Amino acid sequence: MIEVASLLKKEGIPGDLFTHRIFSQEVNYEANSFQGYKKEEREGYGLRAINPEGKLGFYAFNRLLNPQEAVEKALEVSQLGDRVDFSIPTYPSTWEWEDFVDPRVENLDAQEMIELGDYILSRIRKECPQALVDVVISAGREEKSLLNHHEEELKFARTFFGVGVSANQTREGDILEVYAERSWGSRDIDVEGLVQEIVSKLEFSQRVADLNSGKYPVVFTPSGSLVLLIALFYGLNGKNWVFGRSPLEDKEGKVIFSSLFSLEEIQEPWALGSCPFDDEGIMTRAQKYLINKGKVESAFWDLWSAAKKGIKPTGNGFRGSYRDLPEPGFSSLRVKNGLRDSSTLIGELEEGLIVDSVLGLGQSNVASGYFSCNVHLGFYVKGGEIQGRVKDVMISGNTYQALFNLKEISRDSRWIGGRILLPYLLVEPIEVNK
Amino acid sequence: MMEVLEELIRLPRKGEYMEIRLENIFSTTIRVQNGVVERIRVGTDEGGYIRLLAPRGSWWFESFQRWDDLKDKVEKAIAGASLLPKSNIEVVRRAPVRDEHKVTLPDDFRFKSLEDKTSLLLLYDQVLRETSPFLVSSLVEYRDEFRQIYLANSDGSLIYLEEPDISVSFVATARKEDNIEIYRNGVAGKAGFELVKNQETLAQEIGQRAVLLLEAPSFSGGVYDVILDPVLAGVFIHEAFGHLSESDTLYRNEELKRIMAKGKRVSSSVLNVFDDGSLDNLRGSSPYDDEGIPTGRTYLIKDGHLDGRLHSRETAFLMHEEVTGNARTINYRFPPIVRMTNTAIEAGEASREDLFSDIERGLYAVEYIGGNTALELFTFSAAYGYLIEKGKIKELVKDVVLSGNLFQTLDKIDAVADDFRWTEVGGCGKGGQIGLPTPTGSPHIRLREVLVGGSHND
Repeated sequence: MIEVASLLKKEGIPGDLFTHRIFSQEVNYEANSFQGYKKEEREGYGLRAINPEGKLGFYAFNRLLNPQEAVEKALEVSQLGDRVDFSIPTYPSTWEWEDFVDPRVENLDAQEMIELGDYILSRIRKECPQALVDVVISAGREEKSLLNHHEEELKFARTFFGVGVSANQTREGDILEVYAERSWGSRDIDVEGLVQEIVSKLEFSQRVADLNSGKYPVVFTPSGSLVLLIALFYGLNGKNWVFGRSPLEDKEGKVIFSSLFSLEEIQEPWALGSCPFDDEGIMTRAQKYLINKGKVESAFWDLWSAAKKGIKPTGNGFRGSYRDLPEPGFSSLRVKNGLRDSSTLIGELEEGLIVDSVLGLGQSNVASGYFSCNVHLGFYVKGGEIQGRVKDVMISGNTYQALFNLKEISRDSRWIGGRILLPYLLVEPIEVNK
Repeated sequence: MMEVLEELIRLPRKGEYMEIRLENIFSTTIRVQNGVVERIRVGTDEGGYIRLLAPRGSWWFESFQRWDDLKDKVEKAIAGASLLPKSNIEVVRRAPVRDEHKVTLPDDFRFKSLEDKTSLLLLYDQVLRETSPFLVSSLVEYRDEFRQIYLANSDGSLIYLEEPDISVSFVATARKEDNIEIYRNGVAGKAGFELVKNQETLAQEIGQRAVLLLEAPSFSGGVYDVILDPVLAGVFIHEAFGHLSESDTLYRNEELKRIMAKGKRVSSSVLNVFDDGSLDNLRGSSPYDDEGIPTGRTYLIKDGHLDGRLHSRETAFLMHEEVTGNARTINYRFPPIVRMTNTAIEAGEASREDLFSDIERGLYAVEYIGGNTALELFTFSAAYGYLIEKGKIKELVKDVVLSGNLFQTLDKIDAVADDFRWTEVGGCGKGGQIGLPTPTGSPHIRLREVLVGGSHND
């Protein structure tokens, strides 16, 4: 595909070609039995070109075209495109990064994946014989590259490995489902921790506890914390700032959250999402605060949005697939942890709720920060002890208010989706309806 | 291509079941934001899969992009599948089908210029933005897609399908200081360019609705008698009962099978629910599902009793029931799984006014933002709502999210109106396959004592 870059160079057309290649394998189990094996190999190309009038064109394809055809299609589109204020980046000539490829993941075969699946299944079945267990194990390698009209190239590859387990227990009038996952760039995921998480969630769920509607302190587990972060991701999106749609756009430099709350983008090599450059060739920073001790420090800026705002891009232009143009997004994130263990936080709860997962995430007004969700898995706590699982309970509130009302953050954290490192968050009060 | 496929499906000789799908997707997406043509994406996506099940074996699935080396891929699949663990998976077999469905569109979007498409969007964007000074942001997105699909399987079936899909969606963001409201709506269908033309009034309504929401109070949480409009009622039945009717959620769960036994009373007697993939020209329709089974109508609930459920070849075999034509995939990257097609609550006999008349204080919930289900629990969020007082529609309210439970909520439907209509916009996600068109239909329905989220205004 270097021919496309050469052609751009020859014709004097600024542009870049994004290539995305993925090889992935998966085994899955349904209701305690092996179901099947899947594999997938795909690659695709997205070509951006800026015509002499400064207008942007884009053409996406996944079969080999002749370079002439691809460039012509992108230029055809550019005639109707937006006049853009950015230029296609040049790339550094020295490579200071390495690929994050774990050969134990790359060379994994179906048999090894089945052995692991069988092991996980037998461990959970031994502890909870009544549960129906689904397991999905996936592994693979992805490669991203960019080629620009200077014939410069950037390339990065990583492996990914993930295990997701859900356990179901059905009785007349009550269907319980619990879920846990671990994902990482290398083979080193905590399988024992995953098994333990499923087992203890099932154990704590055996009793259904009753509680009254009202305002309660709530401990959001790492996966439950997403309830509070979804609206924040919307608010930190640079494009939403440009279009006047984010409540944060005039809050830069202001303290609007609890001083306990810090959110940063980090490059943790084996975390999924971490990368030396974003999907438009801008170098990512090793560490960057978005929120520092409650103060809004920065947002996610891709080339397009940064140019509209008249600032430098932050290496946050990411593409959903080769078929998409870059949008503001993030690599890996971390919410800064606190000093005491989550078990202490829960042990000190006089009366309250633990929220581990919800239904309806992101399905209310994310722009204003409002959330209202059905608690999918949550526990009622009294006198510091878990009394049982709650059912048919809703929590609601506003993200911006809740993160201002943050009371404590736990010392222990966990990676969610291998990409966001989250501690337990204690917020008070949260409205609970039943 | 048919000749090639004809040869390939004869390759497995040990009683395997094999499917081959080849697919070509041509698509155009144009997005205009605040008067700027922010992006135009034109693309082609070509690929396919081979899915194979050896006798007493388990599934082998391979997705690929290039259509060459197909013979080699089939041979590898046969060899690969033979090494997988044994299981009790088997599939229903059928007589071979040879069919070809070509589509003629009134105003074929494939022959429209990018310029025609873009100028229409710029016009809508202008109409939308001009509705109010409080509209800080407008977004108009156009998408068209034309698919050519070849399906071949071990029954000896060879099917060629063409599937068009077109939509235009509008998102309006209104703002007064930190109060930001988003309202979205649009049109979608298996249609030509004619569907997206003349939508100025819709664009205007969307702008006005976003601005109205700025002044609306949040609905206070609690338990209310609720009337759902046809759009939200459709989402409700999709989440509340549709997903549990997909047999892959229960075919290996004996206890759930008992709960979902045929003939069992599952709701009040006013409720009739069906799924029908054979209806003319809806977005969930197709003459065949992705396993090459003809689509048709399946009643899920008849007069309040569980009447049927949705099947793939695999779930029908294991449950000793008839296949229903509900195995669907979003594209060649994924295997077909059990999905809804077009799902609906049948019209009742009450008038819309009857439903409101005896509600002392309640909620009229309208349109939707989304819905979610986890077996017995489900939520569905309305785009907006109105307070009902003494049978009358009163003030506009926002932030309306409703929750329900399989074992209680269906029984609380006590009235179904006669004003049935379909909603085609939106899509469904399951097992990583997101955005499958699953239209829903319903008239207005009334539910007693529904849990609604939100703060108490005290």
